[in-house]
Amino acid sequence: MGAAMDRRRFLTSAAVLCASAAGSTRLLAQGTSMDGDGYLPVRLPPKPGAAPSMTSNERDALERQIACPCPCTLDIFTCRTSMPCGFSPNLHRDVMALVEGGYSGDEIMHAFTEVYGEHILMAPKREGFNLVGYVAPFAAIGTGALAILMMLRRWRRDGGDQPTPATVDGVDATDDELARLDAAVRGDGR
Amino acid sequence: MILVGELSLWVAVLMAGWSATVSFAGGGLRRPDLVASGERALYAAAAFVVLAAAGLWTALLTHDFSFKYVASFTSANLPKAYTISAFWGGQAGSMLFWCLILGIYSALAVATSRRANRELIPYVTGTLAVVLLFFLMTTALGANPYERLDFIPPDGRGMNPQLQNPGMAIHPPNLYLGLVATTVPFAFAVAALITRRLDAEWLGAVRRWALVSWFFLTIGITLGMWWAYVELGWGGYWAWDPVENASLLPWLTGTAFLHSIMIQEKRGMLRKWNVTLVITTFLLSILGTFITRSGIIQSVHSFAQSPVGNWFAGFLVLATIVSAYLVSTRLHDLEATASLESMVSREAAFLYNNLVLVGMAFSVLWGTLFPIISEAVKGNKITVGAPFFNQVNVPLGLLLLLLTGVGPLIAWRRASVSNLKRQFAAPALAGVAVGALLFALGMRNAYALVSYTLAGFVLATIAQEFAKGVGARHRMYGESLPMALVRLVARNRRRYGGYVVHLGIVVLFCGFAGNAFKKEVDVTLRTGESYAATDPFGHEWTFTSQGVSEYEALNRFVTAVVLETTRDGKPAGLITSEKRQHVDSRGVPTFEPSTEVGLRESINMDIYVVLAGVTGEDQAELRIAFNPLVWWVWFGGAIMALGGLIVMWPQAQRRGMQSGYAAVLEPQHDPAEHAGVER
Repeated sequence: MGAAMDRRRFLTSAAVLCASAAGSTRLLAQGTSMDGDGYLPVRLPPKPGAAPSMTSNERDALERQIACPCPCTLDIFTCRTSMPCGFSPNLHRDVMALVEGGYSGDEIMHAFTEVYGEHILMAPKREGFNLVGYVAPFAAIGTGALAILMMLRRWRRDGGDQPTPATVDGVDATDDELARLDAAVRGDGR
Repeated sequence: MILVGELSLWVAVLMAGWSATVSFAGGGLRRPDLVASGERALYAAAAFVVLAAAGLWTALLTHDFSFKYVASFTSANLPKAYTISAFWGGQAGSMLFWCLILGIYSALAVATSRRANRELIPYVTGTLAVVLLFFLMTTALGANPYERLDFIPPDGRGMNPQLQNPGMAIHPPNLYLGLVATTVPFAFAVAALITRRLDAEWLGAVRRWALVSWFFLTIGITLGMWWAYVELGWGGYWAWDPVENASLLPWLTGTAFLHSIMIQEKRGMLRKWNVTLVITTFLLSILGTFITRSGIIQSVHSFAQSPVGNWFAGFLVLATIVSAYLVSTRLHDLEATASLESMVSREAAFLYNNLVLVGMAFSVLWGTLFPIISEAVKGNKITVGAPFFNQVNVPLGLLLLLLTGVGPLIAWRRASVSNLKRQFAAPALAGVAVGALLFALGMRNAYALVSYTLAGFVLATIAQEFAKGVGARHRMYGESLPMALVRLVARNRRRYGGYVVHLGIVVLFCGFAGNAFKKEVDVTLRTGESYAATDPFGHEWTFTSQGVSEYEALNRFVTAVVLETTRDGKPAGLITSEKRQHVDSRGVPTFEPSTEVGLRESINMDIYVVLAGVTGEDQAELRIAFNPLVWWVWFGGAIMALGGLIVMWPQAQRRGMQSGYAAVLEPQHDPAEHAGVER
């Protein structure tokens, strides 16, 4: 779009935009309620001779990676003491049981994903289409930086010969010299 | 009064419609009579919206439960302050509140700009009227607070207890004042694009209103964080919730605009970029409203799903298309009149600043919408929570903090090596010294170390600027140092107000970095039992349960636990945390139980106690958290708002030229600041 876009081209683009917007609105997701109606237990039999697989601090850290299915947008560790939530206290109990049953962090996360789907993870796995999610912000910023760089090069090429007018930054004088200059130009002797 | 209010809403619709029609017609046909009629109709629309709002407030305060809105969000025993704030507590009332602010802003914008911007004003009026018309129509047809019930219930449902908090009473109005103010710059941008008068004329008014928007958004966002912290009980202040993100987006692009506009004013550059930023900021505020009100994205903040979401989606698409059309057909008129000369210059630093701010806005928007995009592509839901947002925005935030120090000190056009040495040697040394000291004291968290190092650097740049300016005035005019400081700021509010904002940013980042040292633990205590813990600063604390009590208050049943605390063996006071079950005037529970956090605040650390529940007779399940430097977040927000106020405060016209050489070289600046202060 180097020059002003003509009306027909613009309207064509706008029609495409509208069509895609209309299509995408059908796919909008709806959240669950806070009453815990959709709670599904995540339970596995304890491993033979099981001992707790992690400390309570490690368990808390693990719970911070599990999203509460209620609309709080928090993890289950954070949600369960603050929200009137029907999910997080139950999911916390499931995590505790799995830890007591000797399951590792990865195994517990896998068990939760099996039951609830990827939605239960606080951040999507770095694989497949999710990579687009992770890469896009950096790609956008990188593209912006590249655009600035190219713009600078073009500007310097086109306008590099312009004389640079004096600025205060160019005045290499001491404070006293500048004060004397100021007083002289003001003419009030101050 | 209520009936007058109800009717006024519809009259306001008619007035806004008339104003939009005749303003655009008057501008196009060059008919001053139509333009004047459009202006008067806009004032009338604003007046009728005020009446409509007064009617709803009357209905709320007189507990007229025949109105669905009043019955849904208030009850007879709701404290009066919250009955007043119930105006914006629900979908329909908040829509009318939006109309109220927009009506007043529109009238003010037209009244204060009609003389200075004669060519633009018909289209400014027309655009404001169109936006007002949209909101009024959405309110009247999609979410009308004057909708009546078929019966009159004996009492209302009451207000969600989590909204019964002073922060929630004042946070939404501030946020709305900020979001709605983005409409005025948008209207000026549209007017400038339509008339092709894209010189500096439209920028004056736009900048003022962009500052108003930024100021209120800053206060609104900070108050929102404070409310989330003290009321929701999850121990933090920012969860990257979609609705929080929606308020942050226009703040980010608005901040970018307030920086890049300086380049256009000084150098005539970035004209396309600035007009795009103004439009984007407005569109993001509408998008945020759409996200909040449509229910398309899961959030604890969202209003229930309602048809107004479709209205907003339509308006957003329409506004985007019209704006894109106007910009794309006026690109020739938006060509820069100067070019960038060096990558090491203030212009370039501001460009980098814009890149980071807009990059952050994009990443926040992307993360907010990615669950929808992912579902559209893959067919399954995903969650994009804090880990995702932090991964992108923490490094960008640190880069922004660095630029906060670099931008104001670097020279316009092209910085020389001597300029860089003179300006940055001492601040860089200060930053490194802070980092080294903290490392020596045992700080090992990389992000926190970088944050505090950069904070030291930026703080030193600000101190250096103030010291040079104050010193120069002191030497030149013989003013005392406090007087020199006051006059330095007063005579160049824009510049030094900006430094105060930057100081607020530094304090804010120090607060954010404190989060790296947060400690929290879950404990269960019976009466008389104690729990001992060490805080992040190495002090020993004990928490002893004084027992669980249950009692009735005005509109709630309360279960409370009291902890007696000691710090390093010395008494440190009592902390009380509550669970509240709110009831209506007949004693019937109205909402789920809510948490009232027990908080012991201090400048270096908060102790945050949440009563998760009570088992048996007196066994309290508690979460106790040590939250370092949270107070700095509130203080940083307040400093930023103060800086914004200094920048916005009208500058009195000074007699004659302020200073000889300064007038010759750069007419807009104070003499003192040039005597030794790099620009």
